[in-house]
Amino acid sequence: MTWLTEWTAYLPQMMSGLGVSLLIAAVSIVAGYPLGLVLSVMVSAKNLASRTLALAVVEIGRGAPALVILYLFYYGLPKFGIAFESITAACLALIWNSAAYSSEIMRAGIQSVDRGQLEASSALGLAQRHTFWRVIMPQGMRSAIPGLMGVAIQMFQGTSLAYAIAVPELMKSAYNIGSQDFNYLQIFTLAGLCYAAISMPATWITVFFEKRMARHA
Amino acid sequence: MYHFTYHVTWPTSTDGLLVPTWKIAMTLSEIADGKLAPRTGIKLDKISKRYGDHTVLDDVSLHVEPGTVTALIGPSGAGKSTFLRCINLLERPDSGTIQVAGHTIEPGKVVNNKDLAALRSTVGMVFQSFNLFPHMSAMKNISFPQQKVLGRTKEEADARSMELLERVGLKEKANQHPGRCSGGQQQRIAIARALALDPSIMLFDEPTSALDPEVGLEVLAVMRELAADGMTMIVVTHEMQFARDVSDTLVVMADCKIIEQGDPGAIMSDPQEARTRRFLRAVLER
Repeated sequence: MTWLTEWTAYLPQMMSGLGVSLLIAAVSIVAGYPLGLVLSVMVSAKNLASRTLALAVVEIGRGAPALVILYLFYYGLPKFGIAFESITAACLALIWNSAAYSSEIMRAGIQSVDRGQLEASSALGLAQRHTFWRVIMPQGMRSAIPGLMGVAIQMFQGTSLAYAIAVPELMKSAYNIGSQDFNYLQIFTLAGLCYAAISMPATWITVFFEKRMARHA
Repeated sequence: MYHFTYHVTWPTSTDGLLVPTWKIAMTLSEIADGKLAPRTGIKLDKISKRYGDHTVLDDVSLHVEPGTVTALIGPSGAGKSTFLRCINLLERPDSGTIQVAGHTIEPGKVVNNKDLAALRSTVGMVFQSFNLFPHMSAMKNISFPQQKVLGRTKEEADARSMELLERVGLKEKANQHPGRCSGGQQQRIAIARALALDPSIMLFDEPTSALDPEVGLEVLAVMRELAADGMTMIVVTHEMQFARDVSDTLVVMADCKIIEQGDPGAIMSDPQEARTRRFLRAVLER
């Protein structure tokens, strides 16, 4: 049997794993980025309590490896009577991770907006909320887009960590197939190709956006 | 019932960029509606501003009559911009009193956000770097503040924006983003944006310094029209010709103080202060 025929045989099972991986990545991005936005605003808030809380959430999310958080959610929290299904625990851990990383990118984006924009808004008498949501945010988010796309790719690859708590995602599928007839080389190569098939085009799109952004800066 | 007619006349600009002469008659009720703000002057008394140990403004006083143009000149670091920015409280002075558009601001007095917004919408400001909102079209740049600050509907705001774009000669740029406009065009849009809030006072902070000389002319032409219309204006500038031709009062600042003020022609031909002479020689003999 050649690699190609083997791959064709494995592919259906791999595809279901890939679907789960994509689902976890999508959830962690769709829920994580809005949370990241809230954190990025809280981190620069005047209120000390909200600033401290946000800072703690961001620093833990970025400082601790995602696997540690994943284990804490899955194996740690049941100690307090909070038990999650493995896929839920994986989503929650990765949401935290993506919120923490995306918040820093958004904060940098917001800070990169020219000070003159703030002055012009003040001089016009615009209320702070209008200045923030209509003037600063759209510009800050625009410059954050390439970074956020980068984090999205990382999140997708990070879903492979969910293998460690037996979520039936891409790595788990690959391992299951591999352990049947010990074709680890073929199957993990295929798994790698599956990740690359998503990540590489996504990276190209990111680069395209970066270039476009640089041109319209 | 009052019946009061207000005539506004716009002279045609020399380069033909701007709208032809037209007249509008307005009743007092229309003026009260904010279509044309009442003329107000500015009184600044003993304004001082320090950043730590560094003094930027030292006891500076200036009275500006309604409907006059004041040109503020002087070497860099003299405190001209800071002084200008004190008028709409972009900078809060450490001491001194500001009376502008019916508001009195004193040190220690808390200005609430509502009053601050009201004051700022009666004082228009134009910046050296234009500061247009790059993610909005020219039209949106002008309409958006009207909707948020004055509560105009989108239709009202857009109609006013179009009127102003036409007045600054940029009707065809309405749907373009600032990035697609030249520096001079951007500055004219910025002037239209400030005018859209019907300010009674306009502040210009080196409006042509970021523009090449030819492009600067089209901005100066708009400002000349505004002055001819009777807008109260304070202009920080290095454009000596403009200061001489258009301003009613020339104010010379150096070393955190006003060192000389009066008739522009008189000061330029016969400055009383040695510091003024030195500065004028430097700019005029360039």
